[in-house]
Amino acid sequence: MNNKVTIRSLATGVPGLDEILGGGLPEYSFNLIVGPPGSGKTTLAHQIMFALATRESPALFFTVLGEPAFKMLRYQQQFSFFDLDKINESIRFVNLSDDFETGNLEQVMARIAHEVKAYSPALVFVDSLRPVMLEARHRSEGAISLQLFIQQLGIELTGWQATTFLIGEYLSECDPHPVLTVADGLLSLDQSVYRNSMVRKMQVQKMRGQATRPGKHTFRITGAGVEIFPAAVIHVDTEDAAPTSGMLRSNKRLTMGVPLLDEMLGGGLPSGYSLLVAGPSGSGKTILATAFLAEGVRLGEPGVIVAFEQTPSQSWMRTLDDMIRAGQIGLINTRSLDLSMDEIVQHLIELIQKMKATRVVIDSLSGFELAIAPTFREDFRESLFRMVTILSSLCVTVLLTSELEDRYVDLRFSPYGSAFLTDAIIVQRYIEVESRLKRVMAVVKVRASNHSNEIRQFEITDDGIVIGEPVLDYEGLLGGRPTRTQALDTAEKGEQ
Amino acid sequence: MPATDSYREAIRNSLAERAGGALDASAIAEATISTWHQVASQIIPVIGAGGVDVLFNRSLHLMCTAFPWLTIPDDHNHKDNVVLLAIVKERLAVREPDVAAEASYTLLVNFVELLMSMIGESLTERLLSTVWEPPSSELESKS
Repeated sequence: MNNKVTIRSLATGVPGLDEILGGGLPEYSFNLIVGPPGSGKTTLAHQIMFALATRESPALFFTVLGEPAFKMLRYQQQFSFFDLDKINESIRFVNLSDDFETGNLEQVMARIAHEVKAYSPALVFVDSLRPVMLEARHRSEGAISLQLFIQQLGIELTGWQATTFLIGEYLSECDPHPVLTVADGLLSLDQSVYRNSMVRKMQVQKMRGQATRPGKHTFRITGAGVEIFPAAVIHVDTEDAAPTSGMLRSNKRLTMGVPLLDEMLGGGLPSGYSLLVAGPSGSGKTILATAFLAEGVRLGEPGVIVAFEQTPSQSWMRTLDDMIRAGQIGLINTRSLDLSMDEIVQHLIELIQKMKATRVVIDSLSGFELAIAPTFREDFRESLFRMVTILSSLCVTVLLTSELEDRYVDLRFSPYGSAFLTDAIIVQRYIEVESRLKRVMAVVKVRASNHSNEIRQFEITDDGIVIGEPVLDYEGLLGGRPTRTQALDTAEKGEQ
Repeated sequence: MPATDSYREAIRNSLAERAGGALDASAIAEATISTWHQVASQIIPVIGAGGVDVLFNRSLHLMCTAFPWLTIPDDHNHKDNVVLLAIVKERLAVREPDVAAEASYTLLVNFVELLMSMIGESLTERLLSTVWEPPSSELESKS
């Protein structure tokens, strides 16, 4: 017989919140939402309230000074979740400013208790605690302390079987407020401005009895309210799962849509691999990526492209544009400069699942880095690693392009040290031959597979990339200043 | 934000019903105050007495041109609307009944429209729905 209590979890209706809470909001929990002004506390509270309040489980929203209540109502109505039909039906607003101005904490408490008793709400919100805290500081001797007030409130509201949210302002990290020990859950909201971008983050500092998703999660406030992008979790391959993904990877090889390139890769790109195409500006990386997607479309394998640079209307991308219009390719095109990696990854995963895509192109890492809010750039490499791992766990084949500086003194494949992240690398370079700039391409790496080690010339024609013969008569190509070699030497090299 | 004609009509009818249809300024004054209390009782819990006081003062101020006799000089003693309401009631009661009725109606419409401009038409109508409805339904049930 199992007599243990089961705690019902409420779905908050805020995209991403249930995930970071560890599966929803425990019923009858006593929670705090804290954060600086403008961080979205009231919006979050309203969004949760409008999602959860029903006739059977109504909500009471107490407003205590803070912003004038009619202003709050005025602005909150702009959000699509604000459902007027619920006002006075399943949601009641109660203004406590009068009790607060004239009375003391006991009176505020009595009023709250009275309203709760009269209305029997399933959800109670108190917005905000700040004046309560300020008041508590100036209280005379003998009056109840803030901690006692909060404790009583917690007991009172839990006793009335209400899931409660208190909304507060700053809480200094070095001086943990006594309220924190009383609360079952603590959500802290934060907005950081770095350079010209502003990033909002949310952290579940505490949620009793639940395994919350650790760390700060970025969120955005749009007309639809708060949307959280939980930091993507990398699922560790279990022993059972590992062989499966290994099989998926080795079984199939994808054709690239560029004649001869499949041969260079040792028979196509193994399915589930990530391929880095590195080269200087204009070398044909995006055209290669487009060919990869077009080949997928031809074979009935949908693709997704995350484009950070070119707009789809540009002429050379017409093929890509057509495929996007036809719904064969999904597009994430962004020029926003305040994204977080998690936001992009989330949109990408949604699109991959929606399109049932197996081919993914990210064009390019340089554009990606620019689109990421500056505050995340320090972690770019780490985030990139996470993204590639997650995409690989979805068994999609990823092609990433990376701009390479026209630097000829060293042999580099990417500016992010991301070469090790990928399973395969193709490098494109310009070489100077007889006073002309020519393009060459080589397969540098295909993990666990044979591949060609030739450096081949290629051209970009109206039909796409045309790979030519190996460059046999020159050496020092990757230095950009090839010199003609002896005929005998080249013949030997060409045979390997 | 102007209220719809039908909404204004509902306010006018409600006032008339409360005044018992009598052409008596003091009855009209009485009806105005009782209607106001009902309005306030619905709005105060939501936006607080402070917010309501501010909107009421503004509503009254907007009437100064059309009804100069309702101009009440600023006085810091008018900390809440109790004093103001008493003055309004007094001044309505000594006017011609149709003038008093028009002023009473304008005051309430001003307030409702101010509220609408702040929190929107739908929410205002929703919060005040019980104020205008009961008297008419009572009348209907009587007839």
